[in-house]
Amino acid sequence: MIAAPKDPVRSAKYKTLDANEAVASVAYRLSEVIAIYPITPASAMGEHADAWSADLKPNLWGRVPEVAEMQSEGGAAGAVHGALMTGSLTTTFTASQGLLLMLPNLYKIAGELTPFVLHVAARTLATHALSIFGDHSDVMSARMTGMALLCSGNAQEAQDLAAISHAVTLRARIPVMHFFDGFRTSHEITKVATLNDDTLRVLLDEGALAAFRARGLDPDHPSIRGTAQNPDAWFQGREACEPFYAAFPALLDETFARFAELTARTYQCFEYVGAPDADRVIIMMGSGAECAHETVEHLTAQGEKVGVLKVRLFRPWSPRHLLAVLPTSVNRIAVLDRTKEPGSAGEPLLLEVTQALSDAVADGTRFAMPRAVGGRYGLSSKEFTPAMVKSIFSELAKNKPKSRFTVGIRDDVSGSSLPWDADDDIEPDDVQRAIFFGLGSDGTVSANKATIKIIGEKTPKYAQGHFEYDSRKSGSTTISYLRFGPRPIRSTYRVSRAQFIAVHDPEFLERRDVFAAAMPGATILVNTVVPAEKFFDSLPLEVQRQLVEKHCHVHVIDGYGVAERAGLGRRINTVMQACYFALAQVLPFADAMDHIKASVVATYGRRGAEVVKRNIVALDTAIAQLKEITIPSVISTTRLRAPVVQGKVPEFVERVTRVLLEGNGDLLPVSAFPPDGTWPTGTSRFEKRAIAQEIPTWNEDLCVQCNFCSMICPHAAIQTKVYAPDALAGAPEGFKSIAQDIYPTLEGMRYTVQIAPEDCTGCGLCIEVCPAKDRKQPSRKALMATPLDLYREKERAAFAFYETIPSASLTGIEIEKRSAALRLPLFEFSGACAGCGETPYIRLLTQLYGDRLVMANATGCSSIYGGNLPTSPYTTNAEGRGPAWANSLFEDNAEFGFGMRLSLDAQAARARSLVAVMSHRLPDELAEGLLMPAGHDDAYIALQRARVHALHQVLARDPSAEAKVLRELAHHLVPRSLWIVGGDGWAYDIGFGGLDHVLASHKNVNVLVLDTEVYSNTGGQASKATPLGAAAKFATSGKATRKKDLGLLAMSYGHVYVAQVAMQSKSQQTVEVLLEAERHPGPSLVIAHSPCIAHGYDLIKSPQQQKRAVDSGMWPLYHYDPSRVDRGESPLVLDSPEPRLDVAKYMENEARFRMVELRSSERYAMLLDAARDGVKQRRALYEQMAKIHLPPEHQNG
Amino acid sequence: MVDLRTTWLDQVLASPVVLGASPLSHDVEQIVAAVEAGAGAVVMYSLFEEQVISEQMAAHHFIDARVDTNAEASGFLPDVDVFSLGAEPYLKQLQLLRDKVNVPVIASLNGTTPGGWTDYARACEARGADAIELNLYDVITSLDESGKDVESRQLAVVQAVAHSVNIPVTVKLSPFYTSVPAMVRRIENAGARGVTIFNRFYQPDVDLETLGVDRRLTLSTSRELPMRLHALAVLSPHTKLDLACTGGVHTGQDAAKALLCGADVIQLTSVLLERGPAYVRTIIDELRAWLAQTGYVSSDEARGVLSMGTAPDAHVWERLNYIRLLDGWRSRPGAR
Repeated sequence: MIAAPKDPVRSAKYKTLDANEAVASVAYRLSEVIAIYPITPASAMGEHADAWSADLKPNLWGRVPEVAEMQSEGGAAGAVHGALMTGSLTTTFTASQGLLLMLPNLYKIAGELTPFVLHVAARTLATHALSIFGDHSDVMSARMTGMALLCSGNAQEAQDLAAISHAVTLRARIPVMHFFDGFRTSHEITKVATLNDDTLRVLLDEGALAAFRARGLDPDHPSIRGTAQNPDAWFQGREACEPFYAAFPALLDETFARFAELTARTYQCFEYVGAPDADRVIIMMGSGAECAHETVEHLTAQGEKVGVLKVRLFRPWSPRHLLAVLPTSVNRIAVLDRTKEPGSAGEPLLLEVTQALSDAVADGTRFAMPRAVGGRYGLSSKEFTPAMVKSIFSELAKNKPKSRFTVGIRDDVSGSSLPWDADDDIEPDDVQRAIFFGLGSDGTVSANKATIKIIGEKTPKYAQGHFEYDSRKSGSTTISYLRFGPRPIRSTYRVSRAQFIAVHDPEFLERRDVFAAAMPGATILVNTVVPAEKFFDSLPLEVQRQLVEKHCHVHVIDGYGVAERAGLGRRINTVMQACYFALAQVLPFADAMDHIKASVVATYGRRGAEVVKRNIVALDTAIAQLKEITIPSVISTTRLRAPVVQGKVPEFVERVTRVLLEGNGDLLPVSAFPPDGTWPTGTSRFEKRAIAQEIPTWNEDLCVQCNFCSMICPHAAIQTKVYAPDALAGAPEGFKSIAQDIYPTLEGMRYTVQIAPEDCTGCGLCIEVCPAKDRKQPSRKALMATPLDLYREKERAAFAFYETIPSASLTGIEIEKRSAALRLPLFEFSGACAGCGETPYIRLLTQLYGDRLVMANATGCSSIYGGNLPTSPYTTNAEGRGPAWANSLFEDNAEFGFGMRLSLDAQAARARSLVAVMSHRLPDELAEGLLMPAGHDDAYIALQRARVHALHQVLARDPSAEAKVLRELAHHLVPRSLWIVGGDGWAYDIGFGGLDHVLASHKNVNVLVLDTEVYSNTGGQASKATPLGAAAKFATSGKATRKKDLGLLAMSYGHVYVAQVAMQSKSQQTVEVLLEAERHPGPSLVIAHSPCIAHGYDLIKSPQQQKRAVDSGMWPLYHYDPSRVDRGESPLVLDSPEPRLDVAKYMENEARFRMVELRSSERYAMLLDAARDGVKQRRALYEQMAKIHLPPEHQNG
Repeated sequence: MVDLRTTWLDQVLASPVVLGASPLSHDVEQIVAAVEAGAGAVVMYSLFEEQVISEQMAAHHFIDARVDTNAEASGFLPDVDVFSLGAEPYLKQLQLLRDKVNVPVIASLNGTTPGGWTDYARACEARGADAIELNLYDVITSLDESGKDVESRQLAVVQAVAHSVNIPVTVKLSPFYTSVPAMVRRIENAGARGVTIFNRFYQPDVDLETLGVDRRLTLSTSRELPMRLHALAVLSPHTKLDLACTGGVHTGQDAAKALLCGADVIQLTSVLLERGPAYVRTIIDELRAWLAQTGYVSSDEARGVLSMGTAPDAHVWERLNYIRLLDGWRSRPGAR
């Protein structure tokens, strides 16, 4: 037995960690089996576990835990259940929807009294909208499973309660759901006293562990579990577990006590902080309680009789423990829940507390019933601040406080919200606070994490870092909030008054109020290319005024210049970090530089010396370039910051979207929001983010009108159009056009390639694929990269004009790769990554069917760039038609789309039957025309729309009941193109069962799988689409099994149209496939090769790399058309030739394969051979299938 | 039995036929096969400093720099402590080859910075390289850099590397020096112990279809050998450096020619890429047969007998153009 250390406080080792890492470290060491599935914000816990197991890091018993990625959280829960059943210590990590998928097993695991810990980074459940951010709606949806619920409020606590959970579950046999707030706690970096192996070992009860193992299923001592029981037995059996729940709180107390002996850190089931004789108390759990704790200390110091009671143990609920710490003096209580249960008497914690109080009063253990009110706060990581805590105490002090309230929002609909003073701030001056505005790509967050590490681990100071990201995948912005102080930091909210503000990209100065939080005399650091002497005059009036009025000390540096000269591109992280330390003086600068250099070596040294070398050069040269600006006493400009949303915009955009885009969404009241989550489309065009450094410009003299550029553009930021020459009247100066010379029927028309300069991400793909070279100067192409700044105004005007030009009618022109790109895209300017390989498929889909497209979109990248507020990239044509889009969940998308099909078909069938019923009252040709078999081309759709229009005119004069119904349904007479879209994580893994079922139907659904061969949205975890030989998270050493052949599985049904496409290298086949899939009367499955940043190469090379994938046979192109059987042809047609490129030539260009080789050339060689074999076998199989002629099926009916 | 034992870079080799730097050495099994077939030594593929750097920077840009950019994804590839992108993979392969074969293994380096050359050379020595072959290759496009400037820079590299390691250093030369013999002498003075004659390069080509520039590496043929033979013949009487011939040896007869002109070893590359590593045996057998048939008892006996110092018509090595001219004008017997 290992004794407790004599001085646990002194012997503690500190690290700066977020809760995800701190918790994973404990869970990993205390587990033998870990079954995982990625979900934000819990993914990092699984990733840490996977990385440690790849590094062969042992658990407490010297073994490397078995870490297995499953196909869904449901699968992970099943695996966990099995592992527990057979006696292995098992854990898993999840959040939100993932937790919901685990519920059935959690009931089982708890019902079987199985020791187990599930760690949850608590996250909002999707209701009217998805949210990746934090609240307790997920864990509260699992409170009835029989799991114990333990809540942590910060990373230190999360680590400690993780260990305590693993210990207590063994003794108590009740499984524990240990949770902490997503992002605020899971991702916030603070200084944590770590737990060593010895402490963990002492904490575990060896006897309980042996007993657990002994209960494992064993044929040497057989038993059965999971029986089915009848009314005679079930109820009693269910009640038999009750003593275990009754015993749990006391066992937890014992574990807390043991832990305190070992670490000197004390925990209780409920912890009270505040005046011992408080009259008002807030009861709450999670990170918000830290803010309340801080505020209560502030208020009690001023003599207020207030307190906060932190709930750590929510299940089993222990009124005895609650009442033991709740001062008897209390007469007003606000119970805060971080969840909403619409229609309930109150949210869960409120109900528990009031019931405990009422029971206590009833049984005489408490004299009087305090007034208990319930409030909701912090949903989806909404800010919860000291000012809000104060407002709650103020409310409690009223004669008649609101019995139910919200805080943190302005509820002008139901009047629930409490007001608070947004300017109130209680933070003491000895806490250094800094805010950094950065770009996702510039390394700001990484630099700040390194800074926190330096200060947290090299000085006695406490440190906190919290990071916010927007949801764009290109040109994303980050805001870092850093605090350093002499005491543990409980400020679980944004920094609202900072002594230091850094602006890492000058564009922020023009787009948002970056200095709002600057304290008087604040130090300001700006990365800018504007020379120091001209900097102040270059600023807009609002910024100048703030700097002058707040007497800021402003410093500038050309960080991009320093980084570029050091060979680091635009990664300014170390440059700006050095400047921060030089200015903020949190520790002696020379020491800071030594620490930064050491951290550069630690971070980058593992990859080789060059990155280290260049960063050191950047560090050494940075400070000399840092210049202080003298701020004049008066402002020198009348130029105002340009509005974020410019020009005339729809009312909703002006009222709501604009505010969201300005970063002021928190100020919008409840009434601003659609109550059912229905939002207008066509709003991404108002963003005008201007994130490209360089944009393409068109040399029309060289253009061959191939439309490769507009076909490949991931953001529809370069478009091509053919139009009548008279449309050029009023064109702005410099608007370019040439004579259309491809289609004879469009002779005399003009042709333009137009860039949307402020919507382009600068990925360069259009320029890369442009084939038109100047014969006299081959480096000059029809598209050339030019600096945005030079062409922004001109091209903005040109694009605005371009949009007003009506396209020539393309009716009658065959849709092929060239003409498809002339059609209007109804998916534009999304927030997808620069160079995204998914979005061109969606854009093409909207070009083909956008005016009648209904989309079911699985959760993932495509639902984020497709549907993450503040804007929507789906848009409408001149008639106001466009894609109607919805996301349900991750796992159910095929079924969701299938339901849409059933519904649309039912409504269309009803409309058709009504037309038939009313046919004698309609003009002869109209009814006949309306009921003709549906066509698919533009001409049919236009004609049918005209017929529906004519029908409406007739119906308007018809007072009959059936006419009324038909008026409501007539639009369904125009066919709806239904597409079910999602990534490979959905189609191959979590949604495969549903997809399979939907494909097995005869319904006319089209499925588009955007196959990036990895879970892209959550950061590159392996899916069953990951190819053999590729490294991915959860397959670090290279995936050893073949990619699932989803197409082959679908072909096995015989009636499904199946195709595999690769648009960037063979767009003609893609266009043909999408047309055939739409025409196919049954289900269709199109699997689309989608280059992704998770493949680890410059996506500007994606056309060549995709061609290598096809040429090597790693991505065969084919289509399987069941209708060919009836024509006596083989249904399968191979669209790519015999592989002519060695697989190695494909693999060597992507980091995901290369890193396998660098790790172990032997394993790489083995996997490469296996990949070659796979290609050969798949080709051989397909070739044989392509020769098979099947007898046609008998036609039914 | 003809004795093929040869001394090269302080090592006694069983045969003068060795493996030149080529992609073959990526594959240990191929190297083992070549050694089993009689290869006297192995020169590894080149470690290109420029490539190491560009790969490091690419990984930094496309893997490490995508960390912490997004709320949902901590990064997009596994946290990559598990591999490094410096010289480590090369050094690991070097060590592996040293463990697997019992003939000398020579590391080949191509550096771009003064520090890079010496760092990598020391690392190779530490990991068991028996010698270093410096792959000197500069593509000069500057109008301001003279041949002398280039040579001085290269000699500084040779000197720095030769003085930073205790194992012999040999220098793989390009044929493009105004005076190869003078350069070789200066290399000798700089501390090198051998030269390898001559490097072959990727050749640029023009793609008429795309109006683009392409580059490709074509395999050598025996036709490239004479230029090497000439240099060997000229150098061998005047230098103490160990001479390696590379480029154009495809048969035992080719090897014999190189030997006769003074080569200490003959490096095989293209022929093995074409015919497989075991073809070393064929070449050795052919060489041995020719030596035996011609009456030599050892390869040492044949070495350099046709060099400029000892060839019966040594002036031929000196007057290539002139002789050809005269021959062209010479009246044939019987002609008027």
